[in-house]
Amino acid sequence: RRRHTYARPPPTSQVMGNTYLLLYNTALTAAWGYVLYLTYANILENKGDTKGVYQAVELPLKIAQSAAILEVLHAAMGLVRSPVAITAMQVASRLWVLWGLIVPVPGPTTQGALVLGTIMDRYTFRLDLVSLLTAWCISEVIRYSFYAFKEALGYVPYPSLWLRYTGFIVLYPLGVASELTMCYLAWPTISSKGLFSLPMPNRLNLGVDYSIVCLLICASYLPGLPTLYQYMLVQRRKQLGGPVKAKAE
Amino acid sequence: MQLQIKTRSGKVVATVHLDAVSTVRELKKAVHESNKRLHPSRQRLTLPLPAGSTAQTKPTVLEDGKTLGDYGLKDGSLLNVKDLGLQIGYSTVFFWEYFGPLVVYPLFYALPHLLYPGVTPPAQRPLVQTLALAYWSFHYSKRIFETFLVHKFGHDTMPIMNLVRNCAYYWGFAAYVSYFNNHPLYTAPPVQQSVVALGLAMLCQLSNLKCHLILSNLRKPGEKGYKIPKGFLFNYITCANYTCEVLGWALFTVAVQAVPAGIFALVGTVQMAQWAIQKHKRLKKVFDGQEGRLKYPRRWIMMPPFF
Repeated sequence: RRRHTYARPPPTSQVMGNTYLLLYNTALTAAWGYVLYLTYANILENKGDTKGVYQAVELPLKIAQSAAILEVLHAAMGLVRSPVAITAMQVASRLWVLWGLIVPVPGPTTQGALVLGTIMDRYTFRLDLVSLLTAWCISEVIRYSFYAFKEALGYVPYPSLWLRYTGFIVLYPLGVASELTMCYLAWPTISSKGLFSLPMPNRLNLGVDYSIVCLLICASYLPGLPTLYQYMLVQRRKQLGGPVKAKAE
Repeated sequence: MQLQIKTRSGKVVATVHLDAVSTVRELKKAVHESNKRLHPSRQRLTLPLPAGSTAQTKPTVLEDGKTLGDYGLKDGSLLNVKDLGLQIGYSTVFFWEYFGPLVVYPLFYALPHLLYPGVTPPAQRPLVQTLALAYWSFHYSKRIFETFLVHKFGHDTMPIMNLVRNCAYYWGFAAYVSYFNNHPLYTAPPVQQSVVALGLAMLCQLSNLKCHLILSNLRKPGEKGYKIPKGFLFNYITCANYTCEVLGWALFTVAVQAVPAGIFALVGTVQMAQWAIQKHKRLKKVFDGQEGRLKYPRRWIMMPPFF
């Protein structure tokens, strides 16, 4: 793959932008890697018990996830080529899960689980905070390191490219299922306590029922799922399916 | 002459025989006869790009009214076709998207026990709820009237997904606005505020109708191409019709004093502002004052004194 070759050196603003992006992407790779480490270190320490996971990861998780807001700014400023609307929607959905479900209703979301089945009476497959963190951390480490390589080297080493366009096959459904599970776990409390809701009557003649908003958000996940998955599969064929590229041209 | 019609991937989808005086419309019918899937309104026929074109060159689109001879087509010529997907008529879409609000809004007014279960309606319904219903119903009836008797659409059809999308928008917002306007626990503003605001809003609606009549009479039958709108508010504002519409919904919001109505007004305003900017730019580009063309006069785009 050809590295960037310039006829003349790029403008300072572009170099500054690239350096900033390199720092940003490296920092977030590290942050999400740290959350992943904390998650599994805690589980191992407690011999498989996951009750203390949230407490262990809470602060770095909040920082790493909230930092994603910057990505919307990057897109809006034209610093990266992503479309602003799509980036905003993706960041918004992540922030909703963290700040709109887990933080307001920590009990059911961090301790509860949706059990899918048991194998050989020993291993249970479940969707819970750990599956959510696993999906999020691994996806984000892959994604941010991919962009960091691009900024630092001008190209992406094959392992990173492969991970980026293969990881989603498992991580995307796992992540979405875990996010919906968080909503499923938090919903009864949101509904019964009327969290974040504005009842009628009031002078604004506006009623907001957050539990209905949550249902609508969950419903909106469904059409996007197959479309995005198909899109990534097509991208995978394009990026990986072609003739094997040598690492350096 | 014999013409071959192929897709961008090179596959020949039809071969037709016509003469140079046949119109593009007849060509499309012939293509449809030979390829049942390609209804004339789905076809976008273009001339192949001449040698030396770049990725940026826009191909020439064949217009329905012109003849094959106008495009210099000869025996053996090749044409490209793009399938625009399942199409639906403009009037059809407009009718259904405006019919929904006409039916959905009154439901919340008429069926409180069903749609607000468990909430006791007040002994007396606030006057503004009835006035708002009348205003809303008049507005959408007017729109349907204009669809069939006033507007002259620039295109015949649009992709079918637009029907779904537009209906979702209009019907969804009708339900949202109506649910809160007609809520049993609705808090009415002072009745004078409502009456004055709706009265002014009515004036805006009638002005909007006048604007639509002016626009529909801009081109004489058979004329093509853009004309500079003139008369009434168009002397000062390019998209005076949008101005009246935006003000009308702002006044409606003041009359009912409800946030959902305000959100509806705001979203509509943003959309109309985008359209207004495009229209204004287009007119300024066409009427650049050179080579004998008129120069587009200095005008507000949509909302004096802001833009």
